Amino acid sequence: MPRYELALIVKAMQRADTAAALRRTVEALLERGAVVRDVENLGERLLPYRVSKHSALHTRGAYFTVDFYAAPDIATDLLDHLGRDVDVVRPTVLKKESAAPRGPCCGPGPSRPQGTGTGT
Amino acid sequence: MLALRGVTKLKPLLAPRGTMNLRSLSGAPNPTQQNDDLPIKMENPFKQRPKGCLLCNITVDYKNLQLLSQFISPHTGRIYGRHITGLCGKKQREVSKAIKKGHSMGFMSVTHKHPQFMKDPNICAVRHFE
Repeated sequence: MPRYELALIVKAMQRADTAAALRRTVEALLERGAVVRDVENLGERLLPYRVSKHSALHTRGAYFTVDFYAAPDIATDLLDHLGRDVDVVRPTVLKKESAAPRGPCCGPGPSRPQGTGTGT
Repeated sequence: MLALRGVTKLKPLLAPRGTMNLRSLSGAPNPTQQNDDLPIKMENPFKQRPKGCLLCNITVDYKNLQLLSQFISPHTGRIYGRHITGLCGKKQREVSKAIKKGHSMGFMSVTHKHPQFMKDPNICAVRHFE
C-alpha cells in the first residue's frame, strides 16, 4: 500500500511545461530511492486563495497527486528540493494510511439535533 | 359441636393446599396443558436497527471537497461544531482534520465556501437567515 502521498500544486502553464515539471518531480523522487506507484491529475482550477511563491502571485494552479513508497527520511529533503523549484506552487507530503477496517464504526450515534422545523 | 365448627374453619385453609397437592401428586403431566402458554421463540420484533452517524463507513478524504464543504458555513467558511453536524466523535475529528489539511495545502478556502457547492443539500441542523 502507498506509504506517502505528495499533493502537488503546480503553476498553471502550457501542457509541455507542466509535463516537464512533473517529470522533474518524479525523477527527484526516484533519485532518492522512492518507488512511484501512481500519478493522478486532479485538474486545473482556481486556487482557493492567492498564493505568492517565488516572487509571483498565483491565482490558478494544476493539482496533482503522486503516491509513492519511500523511506521516511527523504521527506524533508524532497520538500527542500521542491521548494526550490520555480514551477511548484505548494508541495505537501502526507502519510497515506492503509485501508484497514478499524472494527465497528461509531455505535449508537448521538441524538440527532433538532432540524430546522422549530419556529421562533 | 365444637369439633364440627373446627372442621368447617379448617376446610378453607386446607382446600387450596389440597388442590396443589393433588396436582403434584397426579401422574404424568398433560403436555398440552404445560406448553400452551410458554412464549414462542422469535427475533425481537421491536428491535431498532443500529443507529450510526451520517458518515458511518464513509472514508473522509481531504480531496473530497464537496463532502467537506457540507460541514462548513457558506458565509464564513467556519467548521460547524458537533452539536450542529450530528457526527460522532471519531468522524467529527476526521472531518475537522481533513478541512484544516485542505486549508493548509491549498485545496480549500478558509473564509468562504466554494460557490460550486452552495446549492448542496443541507445536512447540518443549521438554519440560514436569508
